[in-house]
Amino acid sequence: MKKIALFLLVVFFAVIGFAKTNLEVLWMGWPTDKVMTLVNEFQAANPDISVDVQLVPYTQLFQTIEVRLSGNSSTPDVFIVDGPLNPSYAIRGNLLALDEYFSEEELEPFFDSSIETATFDGKLYSIPYTTSSVGLYFNKEIFDEYGIPYPPETPGERLTWEEVAEIAKKLTIDENGDGTPDVWGLIIEQIDRPYQLLPLVQSLGGEVISPDGLSTAGYLTSEEFLKAADFYWNLFNGWKVSPQGLNNSSISREYFGNGKAAMMLGADWNINRLAEFEDLEYGLSPHPYFEGGIAVTPTGSWHVGINANTKNVAASVDFVKFLTSKEALAEWNQLFGHLPARQDSYDLLEEEFSKPEWQILLYEMDHTAMARPVTPGFLQYELILRETFNSIHYGSDPEQSLKDAETRIDRELRKFK
Amino acid sequence: MKKKNKISKKTIIIFIVLAIIGLIYFIPLEWVTASSLRPSGSLYEYTEPLNMETFIPVNITFENYVNIFTQQHFGRALMNSLIVACSTVLLTLLVSSMAGFALAKFDFPGKKIVFAIVLITFMVPFESIVIPLYLTVSALGFINTYAALILPGVANGLAIFLFNQFFSEIPTEILEAARIDGASWFRIYRKIVIPLSVPAIITVIVMVFMFQWNSLFWPLVATHSTRLEVVQVAISANRMTEATHWANLFSSAVAGSIPPMVLFFFLQKYFVRGISGTGLKS
Amino acid sequence: MFLCSIFRGEVVFRDKRAAWLFIAPALAFLLLFKIGPICVSFVESFMMTSYSGAKSFVGFENYIYLFKHDPVFWNSFKTTLIYSVVLNPLIVFIALVLALLLNGSQKFVKFFRTLFFLPTAISFVVVAVIWGVVMDPYYGLANSFLKMIGVGAQPFMNSTSQALLCIIFISIWRSSGYWMMYFLAGLQNIPESLYEAATIDGANNFQKTMKITIPLLSRTMSFVLVANTAFNFLTFAPVYILTQGGPNGSTNLLMYESYKSAFVNLDMGRATAISSILLLMIFVFTIFELRITKANFEY
Repeated sequence: MKKIALFLLVVFFAVIGFAKTNLEVLWMGWPTDKVMTLVNEFQAANPDISVDVQLVPYTQLFQTIEVRLSGNSSTPDVFIVDGPLNPSYAIRGNLLALDEYFSEEELEPFFDSSIETATFDGKLYSIPYTTSSVGLYFNKEIFDEYGIPYPPETPGERLTWEEVAEIAKKLTIDENGDGTPDVWGLIIEQIDRPYQLLPLVQSLGGEVISPDGLSTAGYLTSEEFLKAADFYWNLFNGWKVSPQGLNNSSISREYFGNGKAAMMLGADWNINRLAEFEDLEYGLSPHPYFEGGIAVTPTGSWHVGINANTKNVAASVDFVKFLTSKEALAEWNQLFGHLPARQDSYDLLEEEFSKPEWQILLYEMDHTAMARPVTPGFLQYELILRETFNSIHYGSDPEQSLKDAETRIDRELRKFK
Repeated sequence: MKKKNKISKKTIIIFIVLAIIGLIYFIPLEWVTASSLRPSGSLYEYTEPLNMETFIPVNITFENYVNIFTQQHFGRALMNSLIVACSTVLLTLLVSSMAGFALAKFDFPGKKIVFAIVLITFMVPFESIVIPLYLTVSALGFINTYAALILPGVANGLAIFLFNQFFSEIPTEILEAARIDGASWFRIYRKIVIPLSVPAIITVIVMVFMFQWNSLFWPLVATHSTRLEVVQVAISANRMTEATHWANLFSSAVAGSIPPMVLFFFLQKYFVRGISGTGLKS
Repeated sequence: MFLCSIFRGEVVFRDKRAAWLFIAPALAFLLLFKIGPICVSFVESFMMTSYSGAKSFVGFENYIYLFKHDPVFWNSFKTTLIYSVVLNPLIVFIALVLALLLNGSQKFVKFFRTLFFLPTAISFVVVAVIWGVVMDPYYGLANSFLKMIGVGAQPFMNSTSQALLCIIFISIWRSSGYWMMYFLAGLQNIPESLYEAATIDGANNFQKTMKITIPLLSRTMSFVLVANTAFNFLTFAPVYILTQGGPNGSTNLLMYESYKSAFVNLDMGRATAISSILLLMIFVFTIFELRITKANFEY
């Protein structure tokens, strides 16, 4: 008996010792070879853990996560989380609270706004990965050609939206008179995304959702929201300085990059992406604000979370710690140009970030960045608000559209009360 | 001589009509192919003003094709899709043609219910059954295997319906005669029904192949290893949140359309008038 | 009734055991991978799911909500109807014409068949990019061309009146060659002898097509009508990728609403209620189309 027990014990430890933990990771479909560099490094450092990474194309990402998590599945062990979706996954029990696995010291280097985004009901549900910021890109050649002085290119100095509108009117140019401008004044890169549009409201001091994140009645039709929405409506319908229907970030950049727009309100990644347009000479000015208001910039991006039902907590935590380390985030930045969500990573990237355009965005992240609203119903909030902005940009009455949006959003938010 | 002239005149008219319609089909495809042969660059660079360069790349390069095969494992994705599509085709041909035969030539209690089942299966959107389907496949232990990609695709009501429609046209007398000669049902199915249904078989091959070749959402849900990545996933991966790799997107789409094109090109030789028609419907 | 009209095999054999043996494998697959999940989804349309995943039975509430209170349902219903009424007949007609033109054995036939089929083989993500560029309202190929011939630029997908037509056009471009294939297959079953007899009787080509080809294609026709109707009602990729239902809801098809309900609003009850309504619409449409076309088949 003893011998058998001993034998079993040996076998047991042998299995424990040698069995590879298999970690399933659901990640976004950035180019495979690049994503795999980091994963391979982790594999090399942790030979007892094998990582199986699935790269899901962005257009299918959220529905794939929904299906994969259905039925409280224990896999994927680790998955990519869009910052504002933290509460949605947390409230449904899909994300593991990470407070006991990450010390305060370990969380210290991350941007406050990103940690705030990942916190719901006092618990931390994911580790910030990348973050983002937005500025006003402008085409120097077009400004030169029509004798308009450049917008300020120093951190913290910015135009007002009123000034931007005036410049945009002057730089919307239809040289051959065919009714289609050859140059548009201003492009909003993500034309209808609350990410880029809410700061207009916030610049006027407006709130975009109730403090508990469960109601929008009165918030979307506040004086500030309506003023911002009117300004937005005018860009496309009143002053006609912005082209309609650019519903894809890549297409917006194609317009700006090919000299079809004088200015573009765009996110940080354009700094790297615009390098593809060899003839383009552009400058970056800090995010505009409304006269009499305050400067507000969008921020936040992707996080990494651990499935609450995972059977491999320890390995998952190891992987997440590796992936969100100072070095890994710096390396990710060099691969993709995404802004690291932790401040100390920038120490490793000094050369890159000493460039003036990055200085402008870093200043914004320290001083003016405001996270998107924290609500378990962000998916619904974002979709409906996006459809509403889309309608307004096509000419719908802003007030009526926003009133409808309040009704629709609040109906969806009811289920979280 | 006179008759020959008449035929060629008709042929010329048909050709001209086809050429005009064909342009609408051809131009966008040509544009993608041309774009896939340009050095990676901007999307609108050659669209305005419209000129020869819009359609004919000046500096032809194959680097976009080299890239997708060397950096993105596109070859593996093609292989996976081929394995999945071909296996599904074979299984579906067998299973659906048998069911189609029974529905076309037999009367039995419960037939109407089977009809209803067959019809409903392709009238309900995949998106609304994907979660229960995922849980089923998961319970069977198929997740992350070829089986998860292949077997649900074999459940194809449309293929049964198509076979049923074709088999109905086979004169029952032929089958009756064989039956009187003592042939078993399976022998009749194999030796008479199947050989008389070449166009239907070809159609189902292409239909099932295309269904699997174009599927994107289910493979993402049902498998999670990059080693099982299929073509559509590999193509879509070139479109990211904030950027699109146009050159690789186009080259992978063109490369990904070649297997179905080749398949269709060679199988369509069976769509020639009179190959199976004689003897039927007389 | 409806079922019989589609599956009108001349049934003679009554060997029950043989019939079930032939059907069993297919039925097993269908029950496991289709009917099972469909039943779950149908039951779901009478349930409400809370955010925590708890389900409760609510009777017809999801349906009543859609019909009475939902602010977007009726617009989407109307859009879906228009889309199908225009697209279904058009696509079937074009596919049939292409098949008739390409039913010969001339040298160029193979090339054109493959050309028309090819759009089906291109990934939809790329189809969307192609047509997005071609129909770009400001700098697209189509407008460059229209300006050149003096028609003037069109807003295409930026306009509430043109967006749905653009989606219809793209759907036709993408799938008419695919449906053409079914007609080509169906044409092979028409015996050459009938045409020869008609030629002797002095019929011209048009008469032959109307009196022989079309009537004898009726089984293929009913297949294409049923399959194509279901397919069009359930496809939403063009809308999802190209217009997201806009501008102002003018391309907001029901299937896209159902999809958003399921995966964005996490409201499976509404999503499955919509798909049940779609199933009903497909049935009604199919019956209607079969009636109409059958009337034309009488000769």
